[in-house]
Amino acid sequence: MYTSFRPLVWAALALGLVSTNAPADAADATFVLAANQNGTPVLDPIRASLVNLADKLIYDCLVQQAEDQSFHPHLATSWTVTPDGMEWTFELKPGVTFHDGEPFDAETIRWWVPKFAGTENAYLVEAIDRVEVVGPLTVRFVMKHPDANLLYNLSSGFMGIPAPKAYDAAGAEYGTKVAVGTGPYRLERFATGVETVLKRNPAYKWASALSKNAGPAPIDTLTLREIGDPSTAFLEMRTGGVDLVVDVPPATVPRYQTLANAKMQTMPGFGIFYMPINTTVEPFTDVAVRRAVALSIDRREIVDNLYAGKGKAATTFLLASLPEAKVDPKLELVHDPKTAASLLDGAGWKPGPDGIRVKDGKPLVVTLWTQSDTEFKRMTEVIQAQLKSVGIRAEISVFDTSAIRAEYKKGKQQLAVRSYGWNNADILDWFFSGERIGYPNISMWKDDKAEALRLKALKGSRTLDERIANFRAYHEYVLEQVPFAPIYEPVQTIAYNADRLTLPATIRGPQFSAPTVLDITVK
Amino acid sequence: MTKYAIRRVLALLPVFLVVTGIVFLLIHLVPGDPIDNLVRAGSDPEQRAAIARAYGLDRSLVEQYLTWMGHLAQGDLGTAIVQRRPVADLIAENIGYSLALGGSALAFSAIVGVLAGVVAASFQDRPLDRMLMGAALIGSTVPSFWLGLLMILLFAVELGWVPVSGARHWTSVILPAATVGLAGMALVARVTRIAMVQTARADFVTLLHANGVSRFAIQSRHLLRHALVPVLTLLSLRIGLIVGGSVTVEYVFARPGLGSLLIRAINQRDYPVIQGCLLMLAVAVMLGTLIGDLLQAAMDPRQREEQRS
Repeated sequence: MYTSFRPLVWAALALGLVSTNAPADAADATFVLAANQNGTPVLDPIRASLVNLADKLIYDCLVQQAEDQSFHPHLATSWTVTPDGMEWTFELKPGVTFHDGEPFDAETIRWWVPKFAGTENAYLVEAIDRVEVVGPLTVRFVMKHPDANLLYNLSSGFMGIPAPKAYDAAGAEYGTKVAVGTGPYRLERFATGVETVLKRNPAYKWASALSKNAGPAPIDTLTLREIGDPSTAFLEMRTGGVDLVVDVPPATVPRYQTLANAKMQTMPGFGIFYMPINTTVEPFTDVAVRRAVALSIDRREIVDNLYAGKGKAATTFLLASLPEAKVDPKLELVHDPKTAASLLDGAGWKPGPDGIRVKDGKPLVVTLWTQSDTEFKRMTEVIQAQLKSVGIRAEISVFDTSAIRAEYKKGKQQLAVRSYGWNNADILDWFFSGERIGYPNISMWKDDKAEALRLKALKGSRTLDERIANFRAYHEYVLEQVPFAPIYEPVQTIAYNADRLTLPATIRGPQFSAPTVLDITVK
Repeated sequence: MTKYAIRRVLALLPVFLVVTGIVFLLIHLVPGDPIDNLVRAGSDPEQRAAIARAYGLDRSLVEQYLTWMGHLAQGDLGTAIVQRRPVADLIAENIGYSLALGGSALAFSAIVGVLAGVVAASFQDRPLDRMLMGAALIGSTVPSFWLGLLMILLFAVELGWVPVSGARHWTSVILPAATVGLAGMALVARVTRIAMVQTARADFVTLLHANGVSRFAIQSRHLLRHALVPVLTLLSLRIGLIVGGSVTVEYVFARPGLGSLLIRAINQRDYPVIQGCLLMLAVAVMLGTLIGDLLQAAMDPRQREEQRS
């Protein structure tokens, strides 16, 4: 009996092993999600606290944002806004249907907007008083107050539009077992922390103008895998287990360069590394000392040595592509050690015998907090060395992400290295609002003029142009007062198997998303 | 035996209560706030307060503990604050992966470990013994994340026998199970060897030899049976690992599981999930100990008698 079964066992084993290494079907592809998108528990944009690439492929938005931060029509073909900003009218694209066949029209929007009530994402539609159906494909938002940020909100991944009938029918199970949108892909299978399997929507013919391909996606079955360890993702790429890695960490880029079949493409970053300065503790109550710290950072050295020249030296608080970042060049915070030294001299901090500055017999020793991730620790050590070169001794403390927030709330920090990922100027309000002292306003900065400028930018802007002008003025005042030091604006690097995929020349949109996936072809 | 089992189960109840208290206090005393991970940084203080109220985070720790215990008594592990889903659902989704990995690793530890221990004992102080024990020492001291990456490089990248990572195919459990199981295997091999060597010196073994019983029969029927008692204790204590002790390996091999769920929840300070996961781990350890005790008692009547006296 044993000998008669043995060949069968070997055959089964061989089949099993071979099947795992067999090349995928020509029209299939496997992508590795960006690490910060791992662990999405539910594919329901309305109540999600995190959306990932799968959401953006399942759902379409009314508006699509481009990589230069401009807004383009998608499910809304056009829109108008009254001069007082109190009414927005959207014309909707005809012929759009959800994956389950339900038509998309003005009634969909009237059902959808109120669904945000009571969720953590309610702020997105907070300014909308009511939705009026003007015609089958025309809808009007009557506002409680003007919201010049409305187009940005409507282009957000949290404002992907689900199918009303499927959403209501699935109840609490929506987003885990069922997810129905109008997007280029429909959900096949979803396992949190493992993978999401998507199938092409063959009826898709309503892509935004950001994609060259307006029709169905060339990739038939798209598997989005969650791989936390960059080394494992690299080995998967090396062995052909995956075809594209969405966000390659800077430290891993050289390894991908050793692969003959891998190509890399970069796209503008989505955030900034910066150093908040606690304005309420000595010696940083003095704006001259804050400025000296900001000017002592050699951003070029960080870009060249830590990031192999990839990315930009950040000189303001915002992404360079945002219009609100186009400030008076004199206000940009650049490396200027001579001015930093003279500012410190002027503030009474004179060089001591060991190179550390001293004032009234007290050495210039400050705390420098950072997070436990390798990237943060490396950057913090470089900044420590740069501060030392102008006579400031920084003592590093390392915390995990949640613990450091709790510490910030106590307000005892002096300097810290952190980052944010957001492509909207309202990040200034988040991190410098006098109403959020401690966290997220780690700089503990409360200034009457800043508050007036902030509120004007946030609530006094009726149109997008007004909002840009107001936020730029607020941004310039923040730069004048230096409650932070900008450090680095990273790029996003995408690695892909060039033997299997062809990517468009430009990655469209602020992040790797549906407009780019629609233009990827499989060889 | 039944009375003994009942006594042991009852003895676990106070332990369980103490564990719930420790688990609860441990995570609430660590700095951090789940709401920071739930809402955007720019959210209003009112919105944060509303969420705190909704999840009872504005109440005292004692009230929160009693509420949690009340729900627990009804079999309700609560709802994740950040992940927004019932904790029981999240655990159910992940525990299968942990059981597959942990079970395979335990089986690997047990089978290969006992075999290696028996072979080493049979060739005591000879080169084969030294080689096996040297390998066991390396297996128990090499960090699992490093060992995992080395195994991926050899078996997945160079040889292409198994997938690099994931949990999509049954073959994907082989490398992580071997990585986790190696440490346990090393321990089992050493304990088996020592137990076999010590038992071989007992009087009854000399008597067996004198009676002309074959060396193989003595090794397999008598020595191994005695040596398995401490090995079973060791393996039962490692049952806790089955449920969630493979966090690093899960990360390296991009596998889901209770360990990964727990780490994500700790990073996000998602209290109900942390409580649920830690409770599951504690229960696994308690059950492992119980199973070990019962197996020992079944194999060795002296244990039952000691308890009775």
